[in-house]
Amino acid sequence: MALLLRSIARPGLYVSRSQFGVLYRHAVPMGTTAKEEMNKFWAKNTRLNRPMSPHITIYSWSIPMMMSITHRGTGVGLSGGISLFAVAALVLPGNYPYYLDLIHSLSFGPQFLAFSKFALAFPVTYHTCNGIRHLMWDTGKGFKIPEVYRSGYVVMALSVLSSIGLACL
Amino acid sequence: MAALVRLGSICHRGVNPLLLRSVLGARPLAGQQKDAERPHLLTALIHTSTPSYAGSASKAASLHWTAERILSVALLGMGPLAYFYPGPIVDYPLAAALALHGHWGLGQVLTDYVHGDTKIKMANATLFMVSSITFAGLCYFNYNDVGICKAIALLWSK
Repeated sequence: MALLLRSIARPGLYVSRSQFGVLYRHAVPMGTTAKEEMNKFWAKNTRLNRPMSPHITIYSWSIPMMMSITHRGTGVGLSGGISLFAVAALVLPGNYPYYLDLIHSLSFGPQFLAFSKFALAFPVTYHTCNGIRHLMWDTGKGFKIPEVYRSGYVVMALSVLSSIGLACL
Repeated sequence: MAALVRLGSICHRGVNPLLLRSVLGARPLAGQQKDAERPHLLTALIHTSTPSYAGSASKAASLHWTAERILSVALLGMGPLAYFYPGPIVDYPLAAALALHGHWGLGQVLTDYVHGDTKIKMANATLFMVSSITFAGLCYFNYNDVGICKAIALLWSK
């Protein structure tokens, strides 16, 4: 159907204007919104109990796909962590330095501490760097496939390097 | 937007459906099979985005999108600010920006994966509660405890 519309819009087409005018003359705006259409799709398919077509189980994974879901995963994870922290602040009796001293008294080795700092920093740096990449896309830049891969590699490298840098602080 | 165009033989203008078919190439169209059953004039139903239609539509969604981007840029700027000027002046805006960015981000995740009017309403209500508690907790921490910037500094000092 999109094919039909694209072929009609293509200038090189040799369908005469009168014929195109006939098709367009009978176009009327749809009475439903896109949201309603989408809801109708889901309602019908759940009603008929249709199974979901395999998608992530069969489609070949690519770097952009993995980076995208990691961006979402780090976002959800960071949000969850912040919410947990906020609830803990409201619910737990002691204050922050008290709990910090509690953790210090457990005396973990320096490598473990450095690794935990890296593990805390990495989701933040990755989500930040990839977030900047998203903002670049929002300005309309960098959509060509080689550019997508290149910016992806830059983001991955920068995240790892800055996490290491932060862990060393 | 979805364009539903059903082809039929448009008799009174003498358009040759075969001409259209050859123009479209060998790929079969859903509409072509229907030609034999419905040889009468059919209308094309499309979503138009001409100004006359869009004028009555709400701009809420696009404004929300823009606000999300502006907030992201602001949050980006708060990183260096928190490092160079730690204290309540950054703690509270940081709490607000983090809570709102998380709220809107999780909202998009819900929109993607939750379907059905009731489920959407329930999920969004729960999210609103969680985000409110998050913001409240962060403000409580800023007021009654060391504050976000100091907390990170202390955590990193060991």
